[in-house]
Amino acid sequence: MNSPTDETFSSISPAEFFYRNRQMAGFGNPTQAVYSTIRELVENSIDACEQKQIMPKIRVSIHTIDSDELSISVDDNGVGVPTEEIPAAFGRVLYGSKYDARQRRGTFGLGVTMAILYGQITTDTPVLIHSQTENSPGILLSLSIDVENNEPIVLSQESLMRKSTGTCVKLHIRGDLKRSIDRVVEYLSLTTVGTPHACIVLDVDMQESLTWGPYSDECPSPTITCKPHPRSADFEILRRLMDKNPDFTLHQFLVENFQQVGTRTATKFLSFMAFDPSERVSKLSRRAVTKLSRSLQKYDAFSRPDSRCLSVIGKRPMQSAIKSLYDPLLVAYDSRDPSEWNGHPFILEGAIALGSSFPVTSLPTLYRFANRVPLLYDASEDLLTKVLRKTRWTRYGLKSPKSVAIFINLCSTRVPYKAAGKQSIASIPQIEEEIKHLMNSLGRKLNKSLKKTDKIYRDKRRIRMFTKYFEKITSFSADLADYPSVPSVSSMIDELFEVDTDV
Amino acid sequence: MSESSKENSLEKLRALGARLIESICDGKFPSIQIPDRSTANIHFDSELNHFTLGDGFVIRDSSNIKHIRSFAQLVWVASFAKNLLQSGRTSSLRDLYYSAEAFDIDFKNQAESDRIVTDLECAIGLAREEFAIYSEEHSSIFGEVTMEYTAPGYEGRQLDLTVSPDGLPIGPAIMTAEPLHTDANRILAVESGGIFSRLIESHAWRRFGSILVHLGGQPPRSTRKLLRKLTESLDIPLYIFTDGDPWGMHIAQVIISGSANAAHIPHLTVPSAEWIGITPQDIVDYKLPSETLKGVDLKRLDELSNDVRYTSTFWQDHIREFKEVRKKAEQQAFSRYGIDFVVDTYLPDKLSLC
Ligand SMILES: Nc1ncnc2c1ncn2[C@@H]1O[C@H](COP(=O)(O)OP(=O)(O)O)[C@@H](O)[C@H]1O
Ligand SMILES: [Mg+2]
Repeated sequence: MNSPTDETFSSISPAEFFYRNRQMAGFGNPTQAVYSTIRELVENSIDACEQKQIMPKIRVSIHTIDSDELSISVDDNGVGVPTEEIPAAFGRVLYGSKYDARQRRGTFGLGVTMAILYGQITTDTPVLIHSQTENSPGILLSLSIDVENNEPIVLSQESLMRKSTGTCVKLHIRGDLKRSIDRVVEYLSLTTVGTPHACIVLDVDMQESLTWGPYSDECPSPTITCKPHPRSADFEILRRLMDKNPDFTLHQFLVENFQQVGTRTATKFLSFMAFDPSERVSKLSRRAVTKLSRSLQKYDAFSRPDSRCLSVIGKRPMQSAIKSLYDPLLVAYDSRDPSEWNGHPFILEGAIALGSSFPVTSLPTLYRFANRVPLLYDASEDLLTKVLRKTRWTRYGLKSPKSVAIFINLCSTRVPYKAAGKQSIASIPQIEEEIKHLMNSLGRKLNKSLKKTDKIYRDKRRIRMFTKYFEKITSFSADLADYPSVPSVSSMIDELFEVDTDV
Repeated sequence: MSESSKENSLEKLRALGARLIESICDGKFPSIQIPDRSTANIHFDSELNHFTLGDGFVIRDSSNIKHIRSFAQLVWVASFAKNLLQSGRTSSLRDLYYSAEAFDIDFKNQAESDRIVTDLECAIGLAREEFAIYSEEHSSIFGEVTMEYTAPGYEGRQLDLTVSPDGLPIGPAIMTAEPLHTDANRILAVESGGIFSRLIESHAWRRFGSILVHLGGQPPRSTRKLLRKLTESLDIPLYIFTDGDPWGMHIAQVIISGSANAAHIPHLTVPSAEWIGITPQDIVDYKLPSETLKGVDLKRLDELSNDVRYTSTFWQDHIREFKEVRKKAEQQAFSRYGIDFVVDTYLPDKLSLC
C-alpha cells in the first residue's frame, strides 16, 4: 500500500481541464468536432451582429487539407473584436463578453477557445483571426494557446483592412467531413429558422455554394441587459457582486444589484428573513452569505423577472423561414407568456408544420432550439423530447402517421443544459409545464388546420370529379347530337364553384 | 329492327343530345326530366289491367354535384345506344356494364347500370330493346310460324320456327322479326324446359295447334314483348302453364297485367292471356305428388291477395284454395302417371276447357 505522501497534488488550468474533458464540450470525436467547431464560430458571428442590429451575413468555408485534416473558416459582418481583446477572447478559456443577464447564444466564454484548442492539439496549427471594429482598424493575428497556463500566445500580427467591420476566424482541425457534412448542413439550415434574418453561405471544397436565408427582413430589436433576479442569486453571484461593492449596506446592495428589488421590497425582505439591513456586505461571514442566498431563492414575494432581456424568433420570421425551407402545406405558430425558473426568465415559442418534406411518423418530428440555436445531438435525453412523447397527439389529428414537424425554441438568460456540449435541455418542472401547454396548443392548431385542409382537399376532389363528369356529359352529348366540336366548359365550372364557395 | 323504328329511336337519342349540348353552348347547365318510377307514381289501371306511370317526374340537374355522376352515366348509355343502332349491333345489359369502363364511366355493379338503362328508357320513352340493348337470359320459341327478319344482314329472310327441335332462342333477331302467318290457333307458354321439350318431342304441339314458348321462370321483357306481338298480329289466344305455387301463378300474372318495374314501358302485357294451371284444384283432382307450402310461400300468397292485379274473384279464389290445400306441385309431378300423361291427358283436359 502506498503511503499518502506518494500522491502528488497539483491543480490544472481550465484550458487543460476542458481539453481533458473535451467530449463534454462536443469535441469527443472527429465527426462531432467538425460540427461543434462550425457551431461555435457561427454562434459567435450571429451574436456579434445582434446588439448593433446588423443583418448577419456569414460565410462558412470547409476545405480538405488531408484525408482527416480540414481547414474551417467562418467570416461575418458583425461588430468585430477590439484589437487588444483578441488574444484573450480567442486564447483563454472562460473569457468572454457574455456574462451578463441577457439572452445570448454563447454563455461560458468557452466555445471558440475549445475549438481552437482542439485544432491546435490535433493539427499543431495556430488559429488565424482577422477582425476589424468601428474603432480598431483591420488586423490579422495568428495565435496559439498555452494550455498549461490558460494563456494566449500571439505568434504574428499585421495590419490588414477588411471591407467592413467583422471577424473571420480560420483554423485547422482533425475532422471527418464525410460523416459530419449532413449534420453541418442541417445545423446551418436550422440556424436560419432560429435566426431568420441571417444569410448563411456554405462552401465545401470545390462544390457549389449552398445559401440559406434571409427569410425575414425584421432585425430583432436589441435585448436589454438586466440585473440578475434575486431568486437567481446563488453563492457565487453574491460573492462576485459583493466583491465589487464592499462598502454597500445589505439593503443598498440588494436595491442596487438586483431587479425587482426596490427600497420597500428590500426592507420587507430583510426584516422577514431577520437580516440587519445596515450591515456592510464586506462584513458578512461565509455562512451569512449562504443564508442570504438561500433566503433570496426561497422568498416568493419578488415580482417575476424582467423578460425584456429575451429575444424570441417571433411568429412572422419563424413561419416565413419554415415556409421557405420546407414548403409545408400548413404552418402554425404559438408562444407562451414569459415565465421563470429559479429567477431566470424564460419564454417558449414554437411552430407546427405539415408537409411532404418531413418524415411520416406517428409523433411529430421534433426540431429543438435553445436561444434560437438548433440542438442536434442527445435528443433522447432532452426535456422537449420527453414532453413530446407524453403529449397525446392522437387527439390532434395524428391518429395515423403524418408528415408533421414541430419546432420549439426555449429562450432564457439561463438555459439549463445537461452538459457543456449544450445539446439537451435538463428537466426543470416549470419549463416542463410550459412545454406541455405549448405542445397542446400547437396540437390544437394543427388539428384545426388539418380539418380545414381536409375540407379543401375534399372540395378540390369534388370539383375534379365534377369536372370530369361534366366534360363527359358534354362530349357524349356532342356525339349524340352529331355536333362537330365539343365546347369548352371550364368557365361554366369555375363560375359554378365560385358561387358555391361564397355561400 | 325495322328501319323506321331504328330511325325513330335514333331521332329520340339525337334530340336528347341536341337539347343538352345546346344548353351547354348557352352556358346553362342542362337538366333531364325523368318520369318518376317510385311506387307513389305507379298506378294500376284496372280497366286496362296493367300498370301505368303517373305525371310525377324527377329532375336530374347537371349543376348538382349529387346528380352529376348518374347524369354522365345516362348520357353515356345514350351515346352507346346510338352507336349500337348506327352500326346495326346489339348489346346485352351485361356487355353494356363492362363496356362502360373503356369510356372511363364507372358503375358500382350491374344493378346500377341496369338502373341507368331504365332511366334512359323513361327519359326518352323507349324500351331498351328499341335502342338495341337486351337482357342476357333467353327464352325459347318453337312452332308453325313464319317470321321475317329485320336484323342487319338478314333483312327480308324468312324463317319457320320449327327448324330446330330444340326450339329457337328469343334473341334480338327474333325479337325484331315480323310474324307473317301461322297455322297454329293458340300459343302455349310453359314454365319449365322439361315440359317444353316434351311438347315438341311428342308432337303434341301439332295436336294442340300450338306455338310453344319456354318461359324459364320470370321471362325477360323481350319475351313478353314478343308474346304481345304474336297474339296481336296473329290474333290467337295465349295460355300459360306454370308450376302449381304462388310463384308460378305470378309468372302468368306478370305476362297478363305487367309489373310495376316496367310501368314506364307500354305494350308489354297480354290482358287476354289465361293461366291454365297447375291450379290448387288440379293438385287435388290429379292427386299430384306435392309439397307442403312453406312460410315464404304463404307470405307470398298474403302479398298477392292484397295486390291490385289479383282483385278479381278468379284470382282471389285461387289464392284461397292454395291456402286451403296448403300444397304446391311442380309441372314434372305429372310424370308420376307416365311421362306423356301431361300431354296426353292433362293439357287436353285443360285446353278443351278453355
Ligand atoms: N465573431 C466574433 N465577433 C465578435 N466577437 C467575438 C467573435 N467570436 C468571439 N468573440 C468574442 O470572444 C468571446 C469568447 O467567445 P467564446 O469563447 O465563444 O465564448 P462565448 O461565446 O461563450 O462568450 C465572446 O464573448 C466575444 O466577445
Ligand atoms: Mg461562443
